[in-house]
Amino acid sequence: MEKRDEHKKSPIARRKFLKALGTAVAGGSILAVSGGLIGRVKGAEADHYWQIDPAKCTQCGRCETHCVLPVSAVKCIHANKVCGYCDLCGGYYRTNARELNTAAENMMCPTGAIERKFVEDPYFEYTINEDLCNGCGKCVKGCGSFGNGSLYLQIKRDLCTDCNECKIATVCPADAITRVPLTWAYKLKD
Amino acid sequence: MKKKLFIGLSLLLNGVAYAQNRFPKPDFESGYEYPDITYPIPNESLWVTLDIILLVVLMGIVAWAALKKRTRKPIIWVSIISVAYFGFFRSGCICSIGSIQNISLALVDNSYILPVSVLLFFILPIVFAFLFGRVFCAGVCPFGALQELVNVKNYRLSKAVTTVLGMIPWIYLIFAILYAVTRSSFIICRFDPFIGIFRLGGDIGMIAFGTLLLIASIFIGRPFCRFICPYGALLSLFSRVSIWKVEITPKQCINCDLCHDACPVDAIKPPYENKVKESRQQGVKRVLIYFVVLPLMVIAGAFLTRSVSGELSRANKDVRLYDMVMEHEVNPQDVLSLELEAFYGQGSSIEELTEKQEAIQAEFKFYSTIAGALIGLVVGFALIGLSLKRTRKQYEIDHAACVACGRCFSYCPQNKIGIESGNISL
Repeated sequence: MEKRDEHKKSPIARRKFLKALGTAVAGGSILAVSGGLIGRVKGAEADHYWQIDPAKCTQCGRCETHCVLPVSAVKCIHANKVCGYCDLCGGYYRTNARELNTAAENMMCPTGAIERKFVEDPYFEYTINEDLCNGCGKCVKGCGSFGNGSLYLQIKRDLCTDCNECKIATVCPADAITRVPLTWAYKLKD
Repeated sequence: MKKKLFIGLSLLLNGVAYAQNRFPKPDFESGYEYPDITYPIPNESLWVTLDIILLVVLMGIVAWAALKKRTRKPIIWVSIISVAYFGFFRSGCICSIGSIQNISLALVDNSYILPVSVLLFFILPIVFAFLFGRVFCAGVCPFGALQELVNVKNYRLSKAVTTVLGMIPWIYLIFAILYAVTRSSFIICRFDPFIGIFRLGGDIGMIAFGTLLLIASIFIGRPFCRFICPYGALLSLFSRVSIWKVEITPKQCINCDLCHDACPVDAIKPPYENKVKESRQQGVKRVLIYFVVLPLMVIAGAFLTRSVSGELSRANKDVRLYDMVMEHEVNPQDVLSLELEAFYGQGSSIEELTEKQEAIQAEFKFYSTIAGALIGLVVGFALIGLSLKRTRKQYEIDHAACVACGRCFSYCPQNKIGIESGNISL
C-alpha cells in the first residue's frame, strides 16, 4: 500500500498538484484584486460622509422615521446669516395658527425644539435645540414656503453611525442623500 | 384636492426659487452679532486606525493559538474582545461582510470612492485565510464570535440538509454582487441579522431573525456562518488552498471520534471506506457526465435569471420610480406619493428617467445572466459534491469549512498529552 501511494500516477500526487495550482491561483487573484484596487484608493482627506443636499430635499419626513438610530441623526440646522429674523416665522408658527403665542397648537415644531429670543424690534432670533429635534423637517418646509429658507435638514456627523448604506438614502424620494467629502459637509447654506 | 395640491406644489417651488431673497437681511441697531455656528466634525479616522490594528492583531492571535499553540483559550478571549469592540462598541460599519459590495462596486465603477479602510477590511481577512485558514471567522468576526460564545451543543444536520443550506451563502454572495454593481441596493447591509442586536435597536424584523439565529446557534454550530454568510463562502475558497492550516495529528490519533463530535461546523470528516469499486472506465464516464451536466446547469441558470432580470431590476429605485411615473401618467391619482411629488416637484423630465431606466434594465440583463450562470455552477458543484464518495483512511479536516475555532483541540485527548510533552508531530 505504501508503495502504491508513492506511485507516479497515484491520486495523492494529483491532488497535491491541484492544491498547489489552487494556491497559486488564489494567491494570484489576491495580488491582482488588491493591485487593481490600490490605485483607486484615495487618501484620508477623501473620506466621504453621508450628507443631505438641501437644494434637493423635499422634507418628506422620512428622515425622522427611517434612520437606524432611535432618534434620527438628521437634525434641523439654522443658518442665521440667511435668516430674516422675522416676527411671523413660517418655521416657528403653523400656517393656520389662530394666535401667535407658544401654545402647542400654534407651533410648527412637534417637539418644541425651536427656541425664539427677542433681539430688538421687530427681530427675533431662532435657535434649534438639537436634543429635542427629531429631524421631521416640518419647520424646514414652513421656512421654505414662507421665509428665506434658512432652516435646512442635515445629517449630524457626531450622531451618524455612518452605515455602509444609509437607510434614509434608500427611501429618500429626492435622492438628496449622498456621500460627500468632509470639506463639503454642512457648508451648503452659509 | 388636486387643486390644493397644485397650490401647495407651486408654493413650494416658489419657496425654493425665492428662498434666498424673500426677506431682507435685518440691519441690527443694538449691536447684535450673529452667533457662531460650529459643525461637529467626525472623529472617525482614529477609530478606523484602531479597527485595522485590532483586526490584524486579533487574527494574528487566533492564527498563533490555532496553528502553533493548538489551544482554544486565547480564541475565546479574542471572541469576547471582538463582540465587545467590533460588535457593541463600533456597532459594525463597515464590516468585512459588507465590504464585498463596496469592492465589487468599485471594480466596475471608476467613480465610486473606495476608502482605504474598506479595502483593508476586505483584503486582510482574505490574506489571512490564504496564509492560515479562516482565522477571521474563528473569533475576530463579531458575528462568528457571538454565535460561538452562545453555542453549547451541536446537533448534527444531515448531509442533504447541509448541502442545500450550504448553497445559500453562494447564491447570497452572487445576488449581493449583482445588486451592488447595478447600484441598486446593498442587500448584505439591509438584511444583516445581528447589527440590530449590537446597536440595541433597528429594524424589528431583522432583530427577530437575529434572535432566532442566536437561539438556533445554541444547538447548532454557527448557523449564520455556515448557511448565510457570503463572506465566509468567499473565504472558504482561499482557506481550501491555504499555505498553513489546522491539522489533525495523524500519528497520535486514536480514532476516538471526539473531535468530530465537537466540531461546530462539521469540518472534521471521519474515516470512511467506499466499498463500491469503480473501474477506470466507469470513472471516466462519470467525469464525462460531470462535464456535460455542469455546462447545462450553467446555461440553464443563465437563461432562467436573464428571463427574470426585469423583475430583479425592480430592486432599483429608479426603475421603481419609472414604474410609478408610468402608472401615474396612464391613470393619474389624486394623492401623489412622496416619490412622485419629489419627481414632479423637481421638474425632472420623463425622457431622462426613461433613459436611466433603460440603461439600468440593460445592465441588469447583462449582470443577471452572469449571476445565473454562476448560480448554475454553484448548484452543479453541490450536486457533484453529493455524488462523490472518497475513501478516507483517517480523520480529515475539510479546510473550506473549518473556521479554526479550536474546539477540537480541547476535546482531543492526545492533543493535551502532546502539548505537555512537546512532541506533537504533524
